[in-house]
Amino acid sequence: MMLRYLPTLVIGLMLLAGWEVYCTLASVSPLVLPAPSGIFRALFLNRAEIGSHALATFLVAALGFSLSVTFACATSVALHFTPWAERGLMPLFVISQTVPLVALAPLMILWFGFGLLPKILLVILVTFFPMLLSLLSGYRQTPDAFADLLASMGASRWAIFRRATIPSARPGFLAGLRISATYAIVATIFAEYAGARQGLGIYILSAKNNFRADLVLSAVVVSAALTLALLGLIRLLDHLTAKGPQVRRDA
Amino acid sequence: MLEIKRLTIHSKTGPLLQDLSLQIHSNEIVALIGASGCGKTSALKFTAGILPPDLHPEGHLLLDGVPIRAPHPAISYQPQSDALFPWLTIAENAALGLEIAGLSKRTARAQVLPLFAPFGLAGCEGKFPAELSGGMRQRAAFLRTIVQDSRFVLLDEPFSALDAVTRFRMQDWLLARLNERPRGVLLVTHDLHEATGMADRILVMAANPGRIIREIPVTTPRAQRSEAALADLRATLKTLLLKETSL
Repeated sequence: MMLRYLPTLVIGLMLLAGWEVYCTLASVSPLVLPAPSGIFRALFLNRAEIGSHALATFLVAALGFSLSVTFACATSVALHFTPWAERGLMPLFVISQTVPLVALAPLMILWFGFGLLPKILLVILVTFFPMLLSLLSGYRQTPDAFADLLASMGASRWAIFRRATIPSARPGFLAGLRISATYAIVATIFAEYAGARQGLGIYILSAKNNFRADLVLSAVVVSAALTLALLGLIRLLDHLTAKGPQVRRDA
Repeated sequence: MLEIKRLTIHSKTGPLLQDLSLQIHSNEIVALIGASGCGKTSALKFTAGILPPDLHPEGHLLLDGVPIRAPHPAISYQPQSDALFPWLTIAENAALGLEIAGLSKRTARAQVLPLFAPFGLAGCEGKFPAELSGGMRQRAAFLRTIVQDSRFVLLDEPFSALDAVTRFRMQDWLLARLNERPRGVLLVTHDLHEATGMADRILVMAANPGRIIREIPVTTPRAQRSEAALADLRATLKTLLLKETSL
């Protein structure tokens, strides 16, 4: 297990070491590019403040992401059973993904205020489509032989869906979860950046305005850690729900 | 008796099958052979009630002279692949048909488990399909088909994915199981050895459109079906098939 992550760890440490050496030898101002040691020092010194902002971001991302997954699952089932609706709605969903986040985030704040709602809506908007697409594509992975076999046994469409289609879509569902989880944190930070009272987004904005590159990068480190925490939860879900030799991909 | 009467199947490009009629008597094995694309599998899927929606059938399916609508509990179907669900154990896979028929998980399992030993699958109950060899998986698939207790079994090239040695063993094994639990069988196959070795009757199909061109009873008793005893029959079948595909 550890051996699997060893190359990543070694490459990461080498990059950090190179960065540290460059900052020391080139005497780069910490206001422009702080060395990794400076970033981790700032993170340690401001851990309480960053921690409370990180918690706010994580809660919004987790809530928005959970709602998004729920909506995506419900919509995917509805679209699976009504192909004409899928044909009609998919282009609209695609168009919704072309709206730039940078334009939408401030509008959400304008329409719904500084509370929870605009951030959750933004997370849903960003993560819903990849989830939906992964689910629909997962449903299509059901081998014909499985559906034929169940149909020949007299199974209803719903029984075929429950017994063959849903389990066949499991790898697609998990892949969608992994992709969307990374988007969820980024979208939350973006929404907070556009306007919020708590969260890593507003913390980054405030640190930037104070020329504290070390705190900006500390928040970036924490946001990466939050994403990894979400991915870890997905991996746990994968392990808990895996049956037999079902493939357990990296989460 | 299961009977397909005057079956024509239309596809977008024209008739796939034309006026096909056949009967399968209880406890006899009927092999359906023909070149690829002649509509063997479509005829089988019509009988199983799983014809794709882009194919439009006309004709009748009769059980003991009474028209029925497939899928029907008297008919069970085994697709070309073993179609074992990889996320279910072998016991869960074997019990699938019984559960669909309305039995509880526990009752279905109780019906299936005693058959594991006779089917050569003792100890495999809790294993997953990926843990079994091709031959064992095929046995599990047959167990799932046979346990449904239907009167007629439709087999779509059941041994095509197996290597030659396993295929020969599985053919003998299946005949032995059918001897213990007799069923009417419609066997779709490409393999002349399989058809002549297993069937009581062989129906030869031609393509464009698919139709039966010859019905040949295999009169040699199974115990005496050696290579030499079946050589003439295989030669006849080979000539018929080559003649059809060269047209």
